This record gives sequence, C-alpha cells and structure tokens, in this order.
Amino acid sequence: MHRRRLLALLVVAAGLMLVAAPEAALAHGIVGREDLPIPKWLFGWAATVVLVVSFVGLAVLWPKPRMERPAQRRIARLPGVLDPLAGAIGVALFAFVVYAGLAGDQTATNNLAPTFIFVLFWVGLAVVSAIFGNVFRALNPWRAIARVVAWVADRASRGGLPSPMPYPAWLGRWPAAIGILAFAWVELAYAGRDDPSNLAVLALVYAAVQFAGMSLYGIERWDRYGDAFGVYFGLLGRISPLRWARDGLYLRRPLSGLTTINVVPGTVALLCVIIGTTSFDGFSGGEAWGEIVGQLTELWRSIGFGQGTALQLASTVGLIAGVLIVAGLYRLGVLGMQSVDPRNCTPTNELAGRFAHSLVPIGLAYVFAHYFSLLAYEGQRAAYLISDPLGSGANVFGTNAVTVDYTWISATQIWYVWVAVLVIGHVAGLVLAHDRALVSFGDSRTATRSQYWMLAVMIAFTSLGLWLLSAANS
Amino acid sequence: MLTLAHAGHWAINLLYVAPLLIAVGVLGFQSMKDRRQLRREGGDVRRPPAEGGQT
Repeated sequence: MHRRRLLALLVVAAGLMLVAAPEAALAHGIVGREDLPIPKWLFGWAATVVLVVSFVGLAVLWPKPRMERPAQRRIARLPGVLDPLAGAIGVALFAFVVYAGLAGDQTATNNLAPTFIFVLFWVGLAVVSAIFGNVFRALNPWRAIARVVAWVADRASRGGLPSPMPYPAWLGRWPAAIGILAFAWVELAYAGRDDPSNLAVLALVYAAVQFAGMSLYGIERWDRYGDAFGVYFGLLGRISPLRWARDGLYLRRPLSGLTTINVVPGTVALLCVIIGTTSFDGFSGGEAWGEIVGQLTELWRSIGFGQGTALQLASTVGLIAGVLIVAGLYRLGVLGMQSVDPRNCTPTNELAGRFAHSLVPIGLAYVFAHYFSLLAYEGQRAAYLISDPLGSGANVFGTNAVTVDYTWISATQIWYVWVAVLVIGHVAGLVLAHDRALVSFGDSRTATRSQYWMLAVMIAFTSLGLWLLSAANS
Repeated sequence: MLTLAHAGHWAINLLYVAPLLIAVGVLGFQSMKDRRQLRREGGDVRRPPAEGGQT
C-alpha cells in the first residue's frame, strides 16, 4: 500500500509540475491560428464526457466478451511472388534513402532521407499499418536481405547451417522498446538529427544490429520481438481489419487483432515509450520546457560537459521522464484495478500485461494526432523530393518545382482532427480494456468496477494529449 | 527555480486537469460505495494473506 501511495504521489507531483509550468507555445509543424467556437480547454471537458458516456454504454450494452476470440475469413489468395517482390521494393527504398543521405545535399529539406525517415516512414507508415495491416513485414528490408542470405547460405552449406539460439524469454520486446527509445532520442535529442549523412549512417548501424539479432535468434523470431520497427508497425497493424498471411489476406473485426498479442516482457515498456516520447515531443516545444532545459543544461555544464552535450543530456532526461510519467499513470490504473476485487490475487505485472493491448490505439492516437500537421505539411515535400532526392537539381518526374502548401488545411480543421483522433483512440482503448476485464474478472459488475481506474487513466491521457496539442498554437 | 507564469496561464492549465480531478473524485467515491455494498452482501473484501512472506 505504501508503494502505491508513493507512486500516486510521484505521478500527481509530476502532473502538477507540468500544469504549474507556463503554457507551452509550440509543437510539431507550422500551424496557423485557430478560429474555434469554444475555448480549447472545453474540448478536454467534452472529450471526458464522451469517455464517460462510452464507459457507461459499455457497462450496460457490452455484458459479454466479443473480441477475445477474433473470427477472420480469407478474402483473397496472395500470389507467392508478392512477398519477395515487396521485400525487393523495401531493400531498394532502404538503399536509395541511405544513398541519398550519404551522397545528396546535406540540407535537410533538400534531401530525401530526413523527410522519408521522420515523416513518411515513422508517421505515414504507422497510419498505413493501422488501416491496411502490417504491410511493413513484407517491405522490411533487413528481413528481406536476411532471408536471401539465409537461403543462399543454406544452399551453399547443403542444409548444414546451425539452428538459431533459443530466444531468451526475459528479453521479450525489450530490444524493440530500446530501439524505439533510441529512434525517439535521435529525433528529439540528438544534435545531428538534421544532417542527412548522420541519418544514413544510423540507418546502416540499425540494419547491422538487426542482422546480428536475426543471425543469433532466427529471422522471424527477431522480426516479431527484437526489430523495433517490425514490432512497432506489427502492433499498429493489429488495429486494422486486414491481416496479411502467407496463404492469403484475411478480414477480421477492427481492433480484434490486438487481443491476441503475446504479452512478453518489454511489451508494456514499448507502449509507454511510444506514448511517453510523443508526449515529450509536444512538451519540449513549449515555454515550460524552455525554462527547464535551461536549468538542466546548466547542471550538466557544471559537471563539465560542453554546451552541445549538456543540451542533449538535458533532452535525454526529459525524454526518459516523459516515458516514466506515462508508465506511472498506467501503473496507477492497474493498481486501482487490482484494488477493486481483493479476492483476485493476480500479480500487478501480469495484470498490467493483460491490459497492455488497450494502450496500442492510444499510442497510435498520440502519434497520429501529434504528428498530423507534420504529415500534412512536411509530407508534401515528398512531391518534389521524389523528383530531386539528392537536392542536385534533377527533375525525374517533373515535380521538383512543387512547394509546400500551408493553406490546404486550416488550423481549425487540424485542431478538430487532433481532438477526434485522441477521443477515438481512447474510446477504442476503453472498449479493449472493458472486453478484457469481462474475461479477467468473470462477471460484468466486477469487470465494470475494475475499469473505473482505467477510465481515469484514459481521461488522464486524453487531457494530457489535448493540453500538449493545445500548446501548438497558443 | 522554475519561473512560473502568470495566474492566467495557471488557471487555463488547471482547466485541462479539472475533468480528471472530478472523474477521480467521483470514481473514488463510487468505488468506496461499491466496497461497502460488497461488504453488506457478505463478500470477503479482505485480501487473503500472502503465502511465504513477501510476494
């Protein structure tokens, strides 16, 4: 009980510190001033009402689990050539982006690599995965290369290749969680993130780590648990009603793919990393962080670090703090859930794992809402970068004169998209958590009571998300 | 020390937290009522003793 109170106090204190800080001023992207009919904070209240009404609706109208045994039916056969073809496309794209990063103009906006990696790949492919399923699995360049190498080596050794080592159970999805944290660090803390050649080198390093993991533990197992992007897009792809398999394309109920996630160690951490780092990205653009980062930087400098390193270390501290606050909030929800039925002695970690899948739509909502303006505006750079990927003045497709149109969607419309995405993501999380509670707690009444605290967590995440986004144009 | 903004900024930020605080208050109260009701209905709300000391 003492530990619970301490955790609650820590999370509440962190939240109050954020609230006490001056309102943040800028998040991702360039957004104009909104013309909203009501104050922004009132959207937070409205979102809370939607969540509470959804919670009551679920309690009354959803008395039996419906998502746990997902039915699916095959809607199409897939030609055998599709997988290697997609793999070849993935390898070609990877090679070209790395080449552009190394050989092209080193100005970020004139080079394909930064836009491709941070906008099209990280944000665009996340949205594509949630709609069309885990297409990255087929496109995954390091998986494709590893499969070809394994096939050739197997032929050359006449089937004498040693079997991969068993994947350690304790390792779970920890490599993926660390990989996503490292990617977020490059995006948000690393001073050389705008340098295309740095990004290209990091992409090659990442590929080398994947090859090492695949050679040790097997291609498919590493792809499922160790490859940060394979796991990230794989989790988001489970939101989709489409499932790609070797023998065909399957249709299932949206979100139902999430109920079959194998919750191994590191899964909750990975989801907290996704939500926490995105939250930090929003927070770091504001005045409040401006104050904090100055003091943190001074602290690191007083220890003896240079200005640049001190700034990166300060951002690293903020990034990790963001992840820990999100993890703390989720932990509080789970502890609350545990306290509802004292006869249920499920260990906290196991309960946290059982409900981890409800964080996936929230993670997507955070990523999409937060980076929507980035995708909407910076994504347009792809139009001229496909014609001139190296910034050399080429005009392969005749589109190198295209400019970014900042007027095609207004700031007001962007705000409505943010609110809608956050609310839909959290309602989806509530649905998944409620359905799982019906299985975990047996009867509908106890299940509903157990979800009081998950509802509070959802409201906390929604309020936090809207607060961070509201800072975008204040 | 962190420089704090004007009271106006504080108030606006608190308005984002208010729904959460209200929800936690209401849910906490409801949770307490549920526990009392469970006790009245004869349910054993005590946590069973842990086996073998710390868990």
